[in-house]
Amino acid sequence: MKQYVAVIRNDLRLAMRQKAVLFFNYLMPLTFFFIFAQAFHAEQGGAILQVVTMVSVIGILGNGLFGAGMRSVQDREANILRRYKVAPISPLPLLVAAMVTGLVLYMPYVALMLSLAKFRYGMPTPPNLISVILFITLGVVAIRSIGLIIASVVNSMQESGILVQIVYMTMLFLSGATFPTATFPAWLLTASQFIPSTWLVTGLQGILMRQESIIDNWQAVGALLGTTVVGLLLSVKLFRWEKEEKIRPAGKLWVLAVLVPFVLLGSWQAYAKDNVRKIKVLDRQMSRTRTMLIRNARIFVGNGRVIENGAVLVKDGRIAEVYEGNIPDEKSVNAAVVEGAGKTILPGLIDTHVHLGSPGGFMDAADWQKYDANQAVQRALAAYLYSGVIAVRSLGDQLDVALAARQMINGGEKLGAELFLAGPLFTTPGGHGTEYAGRLPEFTRDQFNAGFLRMPKTPEEARRQVDGLKKSGVDAIKAILELGAGETTFNRLDPRILHAIAAAAKANGLPLLVHTGDSRDVEDAIAARAAGIEHGSMRQAIPDADFLAMAKAGMSYDPTLSVGAAFADFAAGRLDAINRSLVQQTATRELLAGTRKMMESPENAKMRESIGKYPASSAIAADNLRRAYAAGVLLVTGSDAGNPLVIHGPTVQRELELWVAAGIPNAVALQAATLNAARALNAGQRFGSIEKGKEASLLVVDGNPLQDIHATEAISFVLFKGERISRSELFKQN
Amino acid sequence: MSDSPAILVRGLRKSYGAVEAVRGIDFEVASGEVFGLLGPNGAGKTTTIEILEGIRQRTAGEVRVLGFDPDKQKTDLKDRIGVCLQATNLPDKIKVIEALQLFGSLYSRTLDADLLLKRLQLEEKRDAFYHTLSGGQKQRLAIALGLINDPALFFLDEPTTGLDPQVRLEIHLLIEQLRSEKRSILLTTHYIEEAERLCDRVAIIDSGRIIAIGSPAELKERSSGKSAVGIVCKRPFDAAALPEWPGAITTRVTGDRSLTVSSLRPAQTLVEIIKWVEAQGLGLEDVHLSRPTLEDVFIELTGKKLRE
Repeated sequence: MKQYVAVIRNDLRLAMRQKAVLFFNYLMPLTFFFIFAQAFHAEQGGAILQVVTMVSVIGILGNGLFGAGMRSVQDREANILRRYKVAPISPLPLLVAAMVTGLVLYMPYVALMLSLAKFRYGMPTPPNLISVILFITLGVVAIRSIGLIIASVVNSMQESGILVQIVYMTMLFLSGATFPTATFPAWLLTASQFIPSTWLVTGLQGILMRQESIIDNWQAVGALLGTTVVGLLLSVKLFRWEKEEKIRPAGKLWVLAVLVPFVLLGSWQAYAKDNVRKIKVLDRQMSRTRTMLIRNARIFVGNGRVIENGAVLVKDGRIAEVYEGNIPDEKSVNAAVVEGAGKTILPGLIDTHVHLGSPGGFMDAADWQKYDANQAVQRALAAYLYSGVIAVRSLGDQLDVALAARQMINGGEKLGAELFLAGPLFTTPGGHGTEYAGRLPEFTRDQFNAGFLRMPKTPEEARRQVDGLKKSGVDAIKAILELGAGETTFNRLDPRILHAIAAAAKANGLPLLVHTGDSRDVEDAIAARAAGIEHGSMRQAIPDADFLAMAKAGMSYDPTLSVGAAFADFAAGRLDAINRSLVQQTATRELLAGTRKMMESPENAKMRESIGKYPASSAIAADNLRRAYAAGVLLVTGSDAGNPLVIHGPTVQRELELWVAAGIPNAVALQAATLNAARALNAGQRFGSIEKGKEASLLVVDGNPLQDIHATEAISFVLFKGERISRSELFKQN
Repeated sequence: MSDSPAILVRGLRKSYGAVEAVRGIDFEVASGEVFGLLGPNGAGKTTTIEILEGIRQRTAGEVRVLGFDPDKQKTDLKDRIGVCLQATNLPDKIKVIEALQLFGSLYSRTLDADLLLKRLQLEEKRDAFYHTLSGGQKQRLAIALGLINDPALFFLDEPTTGLDPQVRLEIHLLIEQLRSEKRSILLTTHYIEEAERLCDRVAIIDSGRIIAIGSPAELKERSSGKSAVGIVCKRPFDAAALPEWPGAITTRVTGDRSLTVSSLRPAQTLVEIIKWVEAQGLGLEDVHLSRPTLEDVFIELTGKKLRE
């Protein structure tokens, strides 16, 4: 012990006298700190965490590789180690001293940097400071042990210089320590998982940005510990006291031995990919922390209020302040400024009724062969976000596909509109919903229906099925009451079972949304105390008494005028729906071409004729909506996208246009598409209006949609959870 | 302890692959004795001393140093010996006193660093950085570091190689002082004068073998070169007319006035030569008698000069 203390003291004393040590441990990282802080606009929000991470890792690499990797070689080359050789001391105290010295030299820098970040750039104190310190400590000793191994396998300062540079550069540039790796191609991102410093970066980011603990990063911790232990043991084994003792060229391969823990980890990641996922999520979180001031714009608050000239301050993904007049100077709020003159800021739009599992149009058989349900769902959600629709509710989709998409999007790994989902539809044998499987190959039908439908035979079974869905994590329950009409008729769900479903949904805290076809369906749904009516009726006037009952019960009414209009367009052979600019921008080429071809083909005439016979009327639907509005029902905007000619993307804009055409005031329609819809999703506390504390998911448009509803399509930019979306990149996500 | 030898070496061999650096050597160093290993570069001196210091493994033979086996009891051995290596360094920015304290802390027993500095006349340099020291000061510090654990046995590997004559003298005085403290000392050198001046006994080593061992006087005695008588006359003599002197082995004439005669009985030969000079009336200008040196012994034994 006496020896350890003496050698460590001596190492520290000597290090303090070296200008190079002070330069590499303090001056250089601090310089990087200020440069990065400037470049990343650290004063404008959470980028400071990114800067702290990057600069910490740069410092750890310099300290470990140059400090340990080159100094011990220097001591050997200068015949200094030789003197120790004749004293009663083993290599271990010398190696341990090298590690401890590195650590003791580095930690004051960490404290200095964290203080600067806090007091100069307003970084919040990390709540898990102990994890931060422990993880950095582990990083220092692990990288130093790699440095020691390099020193153990080289025969001269020159060799050491070369090897250190190779390792340093690789670790610097491929790890995210100098620029974010989230945009790397997949193979490079996978390759970077073999590099220890990648784990340092993601671990530190996770701990700083996501308040993870050191235990959450057990994979990285294990690998760093492994490298430290292997590095120390090997350094003892390979220790050379004199420059005359040379190591064989093949001895250099021992360097790989210390990397074994990371080779194992990297190989595992090539399969598991959870760290790659984490990198993307962290990058996403980073992008959501910027501070931004959108000023001199009209603000449609969402709750009925309009601010004619105001500003919105966005910080850490949320609305930090809404200004009405008295717009602050950008310097005083440390924000990037966006001029909003002539523009209107709206809360992001919400579509409360979509089906992500079908594309909303037609494709050639060859293109169907290439269709991948998971990818299509992701792309649809990206198309919504592109169009300023920040949340959608899926009311009838394959449960597993929808759940997977929700995890990927809501976790932040991929960008797209936030997904709320009901999963399968509750219906009855021969009921609406059962007809879709008929279009599929017979052997796939049972599997399809298992994910898409629930057909309880008894109230008890209905309860169990709702409980099961709750466990799966659905956000809502969707049931169908529909007899059909004309040539298309269905069996109707027994109202007793509907009541059981409603009771079970209520017990589980899930809203029940009921598809209705006529006023009897609406009345049964009201009687079952459903949370909302989907469609209402397009073929029958719903009595005012029903609307009054709905208003009293706080039920939502989702008229889905879009799907009605789309059927009319389809029957008439109109292509307006796919010729809209935003649809052209968001739909795939295959879908647009296939739909056009299908619509223009002679075989389609028969289908059009059959659809035309369905007794639905846009006028009836519009009238129901007007009377619902008059009765004070909570109105929401769903499009029923996924049906023919209702293509995922600017669906809410289309719905709004139909509402305004039906005589609903612009402001009422816009509130239905924002705050009302958010409330219907039970998310009104998080988004739906432009108020302090809410998520910064905003749609900024040119012009004034309060006067011209079409302005909702003149998108200036979209802000999603604080991130200004690079809309053109949305469809390039890998 | 004083009865058992400080060092005992029997049949020591060391090979590096096919090369045999040490080819079976035997010697003993008594407690309190100063023992020298004398030989040219590459003779095997350093290999031998490093085996004894416990930093190199032997190939064969028996070795005991202070009763320890250097291969098996390295740490115990290192704790009790002092070593002054050839060509070691310390970090530039270490202070003299810090170096002593650092190395002192590695041993189970330690002398007072300041007293040691005083003894080695380094007290003025106590707080100086290593890189500011002169060559002699560095070497004295190296000796001080070797003495920090108050060793019973002190190894000095070429302690004066590369130093200028003044510094060499300083180091010699220092070693003589150590000798007076009754420490056992093993030193290697390729300076004859050093071995002659400092050592109680010397082993001449060449090509991995000991070719002679004994006190410097004994070794010189054994030299067949023996003594030489030299004279310089005031007037020239005829080189062809020199007589046969008793005991003389060879006669060498330099110029026409001086000659050197090597002899088995130098005193008798000298008397006869002086008689002859007077008889011839040549006039004696100078006379000297030279004794054999270790160098002569070395050249005689190895057939080569030492400092080649």
